[in-house]
Amino acid sequence: MVDSRDAVQKYLIGRHLEPRGSRFFIVSIILSVLTIAGIVGFVLRFQDGFGQGDLWGYYVALFAFIFAAAGGAPMVAISTRIAKAHWPRSISRISELFSIVSLFGIILFIPMIWILPDMEDGRRTLWFFGKLNVPSNLPHILTTLGLVSLVLTGLFILWLSLMPDIRFLRDMSNTKKGSWLYNLSAGWIGSSRQWFMQRHRIGILGAFYFMTLIFVHFLIAVDFSMTLVPGWIDALYPVTQAHNSLQVGVATVVLTMFAVRYFGHYQDYLTIDQFRGLGKLMFALSLLWFWFWFSSFIVLWYGAKPSEKSVLELLMTGPYIWVFIAAFVLLFVVPLFTMIWNPLRRSIWGPTIIAGCVFIGAILDKIRIYVASYSVIDQAGLHEIEHVPSTIWPGFADILIWIGGLAGCVLVYMLATRILPVINIWEQKELKLYQVHKKFHRIEVQVLGKPE
Amino acid sequence: MQEHTQLTQRQINEDLLDTVLSTPRWWLPATLVAILVFLIGASAFGYMLNKGVGVTGLNRPVFWGFFMVNFVFWIGISHAGIMISAILRLTQAEWRRPVTRAAEVMTVFSLMSALMAAPLVHVGRPWRADLWVFPYDFARGIWVNIRSPFIWDPSAVMTYLTASTLFVLVCLIPDLAVIRDRTKGWVRAIYSILSLGFRGTPRQWKLQTVAGILLSALVLPVFVSVHSIVSWDFAAQIGPEAWHSTIFAPYFIIGAIHSGVSAVATLMVIMMWVFKWDKYITRDHLDSIARLLIIVATTWFFFFFLEWVFALYTLEDPEIAMRDLQVFQWPWSGMFIVFLITAYFFPVPMWLFKKVRRSLFWMFVTTIAVNIGMWLERFLIIVPGLMRRGHFIFDWGSYHPSIIEILMVAATFAWVILGMLLFTKVFPLIPLFDVKEGMVFRDEIKIGRRTIPASIRE
Repeated sequence: MVDSRDAVQKYLIGRHLEPRGSRFFIVSIILSVLTIAGIVGFVLRFQDGFGQGDLWGYYVALFAFIFAAAGGAPMVAISTRIAKAHWPRSISRISELFSIVSLFGIILFIPMIWILPDMEDGRRTLWFFGKLNVPSNLPHILTTLGLVSLVLTGLFILWLSLMPDIRFLRDMSNTKKGSWLYNLSAGWIGSSRQWFMQRHRIGILGAFYFMTLIFVHFLIAVDFSMTLVPGWIDALYPVTQAHNSLQVGVATVVLTMFAVRYFGHYQDYLTIDQFRGLGKLMFALSLLWFWFWFSSFIVLWYGAKPSEKSVLELLMTGPYIWVFIAAFVLLFVVPLFTMIWNPLRRSIWGPTIIAGCVFIGAILDKIRIYVASYSVIDQAGLHEIEHVPSTIWPGFADILIWIGGLAGCVLVYMLATRILPVINIWEQKELKLYQVHKKFHRIEVQVLGKPE
Repeated sequence: MQEHTQLTQRQINEDLLDTVLSTPRWWLPATLVAILVFLIGASAFGYMLNKGVGVTGLNRPVFWGFFMVNFVFWIGISHAGIMISAILRLTQAEWRRPVTRAAEVMTVFSLMSALMAAPLVHVGRPWRADLWVFPYDFARGIWVNIRSPFIWDPSAVMTYLTASTLFVLVCLIPDLAVIRDRTKGWVRAIYSILSLGFRGTPRQWKLQTVAGILLSALVLPVFVSVHSIVSWDFAAQIGPEAWHSTIFAPYFIIGAIHSGVSAVATLMVIMMWVFKWDKYITRDHLDSIARLLIIVATTWFFFFFLEWVFALYTLEDPEIAMRDLQVFQWPWSGMFIVFLITAYFFPVPMWLFKKVRRSLFWMFVTTIAVNIGMWLERFLIIVPGLMRRGHFIFDWGSYHPSIIEILMVAATFAWVILGMLLFTKVFPLIPLFDVKEGMVFRDEIKIGRRTIPASIRE
């Protein structure tokens, strides 16, 4: 571990500029091939057209999952910065880089504009269609605008946070005026005013990002699943989806941290402190998941109206019961009974394995919700489901789409780390200012400064 | 925290034990007034027992009125203690130190008020309230239904009361030992018993710290369960259609935190005014709690928005009729406007200004406003919800609280004030050991020409 601020800067830039090995190249090729396989899967599925919603359930589930993970991951940096915590400094860039993956999510969203039927099919919607003069594709317009705003805000935060680091990179690599790196640093010289503005802009945009994230989850949860199922009225469902995004976002950051630590050799920066901190967060989010789920479940189960019974059957106890049980175990039971144990939380492998469970659990959760929602067809004008559709299993095209979609995300992230430093350099330098080690009675302690 | 006053242990003891070891002049009159109001309320309760619940404004179909509103309100206030104490303790927020005990004590007394407001008063036959805890004719299936949230309620509230009381007691032990060492005679004997032989050995400190952390972690699920169960008293029913919403549990919890943390802020201002403890509770603390309140209030408002949106989404006539009643029919419409302004649109924009966040007067006004608004919120959920302006007009009803109910509600407020006053006379309202620990962990570091506050971490 290097000590002085200049040494930190030199070390981290040096690490970033080091040529990547052949392993990086080979993995990139494999991921590219898998992404192309995903595109082939999409073309196969596209041959059936967008008209049959039940064929696209797995595709929508993939989008919902990628949006949840990539949209939720930057919140790790945003929330911990607002809390002025020091331990997440080395993971802030890892989480912010997921804004680039969200761009990939926008590409996945484009076909969904055609997959989602407009409101003229007679289903109940939030938008008072038929009573107010609103266009029949209002959900499509609002979701597109919301999604684009979210991704642009995420990218803007990433850029703001990158500015000082790009300046360091620019200086060390003798970049000429007019090059993209030069332009991206936007004249950053590190004046007091620039630091002040940067801190405030990141804070304000972070709050805006969080609100937009909630809003977009609200739109997607309601328009892209709930309104498709007659009789499904669950006011808590949008919040559950937004919360699940934070949960899987944290899990994704833990998994990425693990990969960066081992394959990028950043053991000095991604220590047990970071894994432990996110492990605690993951534990708390798993408890919250249960609470949100149970709050919805008990009211519907207790109410026991025919419409509520059929919704419970569709989403939990019927055709997707095993998917639901697996998601329940992976999202709640496993994190609860493992992360409660201190030695496991205070390790590298513990939180990583649990993050893997949460990641898979979230995939299954999206599948049981979105595949089930899109399987309800020709029942749009009804007040409750007339017959619960049977299980829809993934076809060959769906499997290819899922593999390609996930591979595409990993590829985009890997390529981003090739260009941009994966550890935030200026935050590490700032930490050196605020961190002092001194003797306190007979032990060595750390003194951490907290400005304002 | 920018305001930094380093105090000696002796000075802390002198300042914070002042209320225990001597009696301020205002204390006795204030206590007598609280006792008087409480006794008037208790007399009203006695009158109701003698004459029956007909002396209240409750009727068919509005079976729940002021008592239930008050029950939910006090349960809400009680959430402050755990929010401030347990959550901020677990997240190691330094600014929590001087306010934890007041918040915890308020939890205990407001829970007692809640128990008075509903299980004791509202059941009509309070002598049978014990059957909630010991349902003797269970087997016959004619009395209590174990699957009902009404049965979970007393268990949850009693568990919460037990846990909160234990929490207060565990955190009091080191301070009781300090008082023991400064008193004589029978008073010393009592404090000796209460302090459980605490001598401040490393092992005792370790156990005390571990107990505090464990209780913080264990009491959190209880805290969540209590108000969730209270919300399910409403949401699990399909009769009053407007109550049957999945969002009620988190909506009630976040509302409770909004209301409770505001009450703690009010209490902080009162402590600064009355006891002149501004070296301990500073304007920085008010600033921090106001920032927290902005987040809490906005989250609460989002849940309120969702509750409304999905009520309209149902497109069911009774649901729409209830919303119409809340928003367009006098006097509920007037209350609705006051509720929205006082619970959100007045305080939150005010808290955006640093001057307001650091002003004792404005923090007092805004936080009191929040609790007026939150009391009205519960009223507007319960009463118009039961009035049921549906298709059949024979089922319509209205509600006017009687003087008996008003007096009993006033008595619950008097009880909490009385409890706090008695507590300050016997125990320190600011935890001495916590403040001292904060002083030990407090440090400063120099960056260039500036000195910034810092804290020691192992």
